[in-house]
Amino acid sequence: MTLNILFRRAFSDIKHNLGTQTVTTLVVTLSLLIFVFFSFLYYNLERFVEHFSRELGIVIYLKKDISPERIPPLYDTLQKMEGVKSVSYVSPEEAYHRLETYLKDESIALDGVEPNFLPPSFELEIDRALFNLNKIKELSSTLATWPEVEKVQYGEEWLDRLEAFSHLIKMVVAVGGVLLLLSAVFVVASTIKLIVYARQEELEILRLVGATNSFIQGPFLIEAFLQGLIGSSLAVGIVYGMYIYTKPLLANSQLLRGLDYQFLPYTFWLPIIAVTTLACMIGTMFSMQRFLKL
Amino acid sequence: MSTSEMPIIAFQNVSIKYPPDNVVLSNVNLEIEKGELIFLTGPSGSGKTTLLRHLFRAEQPDSGSIIIDGMDVSTLSKSQIPYLRRKIGIIFQDFKLLLNKTVFENVALSLEVLGLRKDQVKKRVCNVLEGVGLGHKLHNYPQQLSGGEQQRVAIARAVVNRPPIILADEPTGNLDKVRTSEVMHLMNELNARGATIIFATHDERLYQNSPGRVLKIEAGTMEVIS
Repeated sequence: MTLNILFRRAFSDIKHNLGTQTVTTLVVTLSLLIFVFFSFLYYNLERFVEHFSRELGIVIYLKKDISPERIPPLYDTLQKMEGVKSVSYVSPEEAYHRLETYLKDESIALDGVEPNFLPPSFELEIDRALFNLNKIKELSSTLATWPEVEKVQYGEEWLDRLEAFSHLIKMVVAVGGVLLLLSAVFVVASTIKLIVYARQEELEILRLVGATNSFIQGPFLIEAFLQGLIGSSLAVGIVYGMYIYTKPLLANSQLLRGLDYQFLPYTFWLPIIAVTTLACMIGTMFSMQRFLKL
Repeated sequence: MSTSEMPIIAFQNVSIKYPPDNVVLSNVNLEIEKGELIFLTGPSGSGKTTLLRHLFRAEQPDSGSIIIDGMDVSTLSKSQIPYLRRKIGIIFQDFKLLLNKTVFENVALSLEVLGLRKDQVKKRVCNVLEGVGLGHKLHNYPQQLSGGEQQRVAIARAVVNRPPIILADEPTGNLDKVRTSEVMHLMNELNARGATIIFATHDERLYQNSPGRVLKIEAGTMEVIS
């Protein structure tokens, strides 16, 4: 038996059942589309969290009563720390001046307040290549233990929330992905089952003229292969289209400025296509079992 | 005994029953020689179709062995059944043609399962359809043919792969007198070319003047009546 005959029979079946085949492929596309879209969202959200955590840097508030002689050695120590790109010292006067500028017309509220009422601080710029959110957390905890340090801030509160949200999305994507994939497989297997039901007479005749199980099953497996492959590739393609369309729009966003907005890596979407295609074929094999009894 | 001298079909102590307690055959021994024309007769419900179904291993006997061309059908593995069926052409009363396929495609099915090349399939299908007088209706669909023509397509499908055995289950049951004689003529021609034919019918007129052996099934026994 040649593959040639099986492909010829499969394409003839597709031609005869074009409507059903198209609907099945679209169901695979829609199921996968939701999964790929949320994966894409999660992937960029994670990158956004990562990017922002690096962008924020760390502010080290020193104790108000710190002796001015301690500032240069602390500055040197911070400068030499791994992952610290630059350090700048903000004196209480400088901080006061920044606050005054920030308050603009409302700066009247500062009347009568001593210019040195704010604590001195160090602002650290983090080397993006070396640091991620966990490392920033780690560094901040270490710095907080220094006796001269009053408080360390890196925007942890909202970064933690963002991170928690990102984890939630990850869970939703993972669980939803499995469910959607299963539903796509179920739909493909059921459709094949219905097609097989409708063609029982043909299968019976094929068995009577001496067709082997692989001859009978072959075209259906080829159809499932194509449904899985085309359906999942379309889903990935649509999300890629969305990415291409939204990329210039997001490039102008103030919030996302500097963020390297990217499409899912091929190490993610290629296995998705492969798993969907394989799952569709396995589903079809199972749904045909009872029709192959001789 | 050399293979050429062996009967092409042999029943050895075959018993066939179906629930609850209907006996089709009880301990039957029978030998059918290569090239024989056998008429299988008996009243409706006597088990003619059931017996034919045992020959192409759609069913298995309760006891005994059925030997076809040296193979014990009852002990065949599932994967070997298609190869047994390629030695047997089957013709049904209701033709069993695929209505969404053309005459050519219906007949070609028997050759496609063998893995023949497209050009070989085309040549053999056209030849056999010429032989049954339907060479001009290759691209017609079954609904566009008369009952007799449909049965000739079914015969073409059964013989296109040149099987040594042909099983015909009431093939003239749905045909008028003229079409019946056309089908009988074709069957005699196939038999003359060496095919072993088992022809199940309850129509006595078909075998009255035929040289073939007539076997009658009734109440679990098989009797040779001519």
